[in-house]
Order: sequence, then C-alpha cells, then structure tokens
Amino acid sequence: MSEKKQQVSRRQFLNYTLTGVGGFMAAGMLAPMLRMAVDPVLKTSSHGDLANVSLSVDDITDEPQRVDWKIDQVDGWYESEVTKTAWVYKDENDEILAFSPICKHLGCFVSWEGSEDFPDEFYCPCHGGRYYKDGTNVPGTPPLAPLDQFEQKVEDGMLFLGEAKEQGEA
Amino acid sequence: MKWKKSDLNQYKQAKEYIDTILIPLVPFHLSNDNTMEKSAFQSEVLSVFTNEIENELSGRIMLTPNYSYLKSADQEMEVERLNTWVYDLQKQPFNHVFFVTFDAAWKKNEQAMQGTLVWLPGLHSGDLHNKEMHALIRDQVEQIGELIRSYW
Ligand code: FES
Repeated sequence: MSEKKQQVSRRQFLNYTLTGVGGFMAAGMLAPMLRMAVDPVLKTSSHGDLANVSLSVDDITDEPQRVDWKIDQVDGWYESEVTKTAWVYKDENDEILAFSPICKHLGCFVSWEGSEDFPDEFYCPCHGGRYYKDGTNVPGTPPLAPLDQFEQKVEDGMLFLGEAKEQGEA
Repeated sequence: MKWKKSDLNQYKQAKEYIDTILIPLVPFHLSNDNTMEKSAFQSEVLSVFTNEIENELSGRIMLTPNYSYLKSADQEMEVERLNTWVYDLQKQPFNHVFFVTFDAAWKKNEQAMQGTLVWLPGLHSGDLHNKEMHALIRDQVEQIGELIRSYW
C-alpha cells in the first residue's frame, strides 16, 4: 500500500541524507590533510609583505620615534585592520633600526625614555622592564630577551617595515 | 590579557604580575528608538577603547567580558550584581579593579562599587573609522592608561 511505499522511501531518504552527511564529514576531514600535504607548495612567502609606514628616511634621526601603520591581518575567523607600532632611529653608523614596542616580559608597550629615571632607555610601564637603546634588555629587570626587530627596506626614500623578528638571546 | 584560552594559560603562569582588572560596563536596550543608536555606538567605542588599553598594558591588565545590563534596570541591584563579579575575581591575586563606562548612571552609586569607576563623558555619535575619532580614542586611551598606572 501507499503507506508501505512511503516508509521505504522515508528510510531511503534518511539513508541518503546520512550518506551525504558522512560524505561531507569525510571531505571535511580529508581536505585539511590534503592541504597540509600540498601546503608548502601553495604557501606564498610572507616576505615581500613589507608595508610603507609613511616615514621618509630623511626624517629619521638618532632619537627613537614612534611610528604607527596599519595592515590587514587574517586571524582565524576574522580579517581585520590592525595597527602596528615601531620605534625607529638611526644608529651611529647611519643604520636604520626599527624595534617592536612589545615588551618581551608579558607584552606591554615599551616607550623610549618612558621613565624620567632612566634616560636613554626603553621603559616598560608594567613591571619596570628596561632595554638599552640597541634593544638589549637591561639585566636584573623582568624581560629576558632583547626587543624584537622589524624586517625593513628602503624604497624611494621611504621606510618599509615587515615582521618583527626575535634577536639572539642576550 | 583577555578572557580567552591562550591568554589564561599564560595568566596562570604569571599571576603575580597581572594585578589589575578592567571591566567594561555596557548598557543594553532596544526599547527606545531615540536612544538605541547612541547606546550601540557607545558600546562599540567602548570596546575599541578597552581593547586598546588592554593592548598597551596587556602584561599587567586582565580585560573581562563586558558587563551588560538593561539600561532601565534598578541601579542599586546592578551594583550588587556587579560586585558579585568582583568577589569572584578576588579569588585571584588582583589588587586593582577598574570599571569603564560611558553610562553616567553609575556615578550615583560609585561608593558602593567594589572598585574604581572610570566614567568617560561624551561621544554621542560619529564614525568609528575616521581619523579624528581614532585620534580622539588614542588620546583618551593615553590618559586612562596614565590614570591606571598612577594606581600601580
Ligand atoms: S611586561 Fe614589560 S616588564 Fe613586565
């Protein structure tokens, strides 16, 4: 009877859907594996992603200055505009140095001469972390490593900054 | 630090350094057509604002999720409820509790609050994405940061 027919088709229908769902899950699991396998090939190098920070090289002095710029960042679920900051100056050899302001202790923002008590040093307001002008952590203060340094290049007289890289342990 | 897994993992290992709590107080309502946009806007600004502060002082500050409440709710009751948050987080070694809000209503009950109220006046409307707004927020962030540091 029609009722019987209907039951079969319902069972079939469920079966189909379940197979469908299973298929989806399998694909969902396989896709990342596949991706991982070929990822090194697909991966575009993150180098070359240096951003123009709108600072002319001529305006860089031997006094560290704060530079802010924006980049698009994809962070898991969100794509967002994030502000990056660097402390930039020229050393005695006219070499440009760009330091990350992120304290190597627990990540607060350090400021150049942020404390009157410690001229000529970067100072972290959180737990009194200090760094010499060349980014080296002052022994005896909480940070255990020197400030990260940005990848950089100069093009058409403008400063471009990329990722902050760790310096060797001090 | 924020209330998220990775930060809390770090928090547990460095508790003695993170002694300050920041709780954003955010009024919510949909009942009044005339003010709901303003309320939502202020809530957006506040979250940009508290995130910035957290960003600059993340090694010593824990930013909690927003404390949300109905704009029309009884204030005294809200103070009580808010204080239960404070009692909970006092199970950890926090020495300073700051509440940040645009809602002036808290001012009346400031005495009863178990922490320091930072009331930010103004900002009724505007564009979150334009330059002036950024400058304004930066400026306030700097000032509040200074205020918080003066308690350390
Ligand atoms: S975060 Fe800089 S000294 Fe602790």
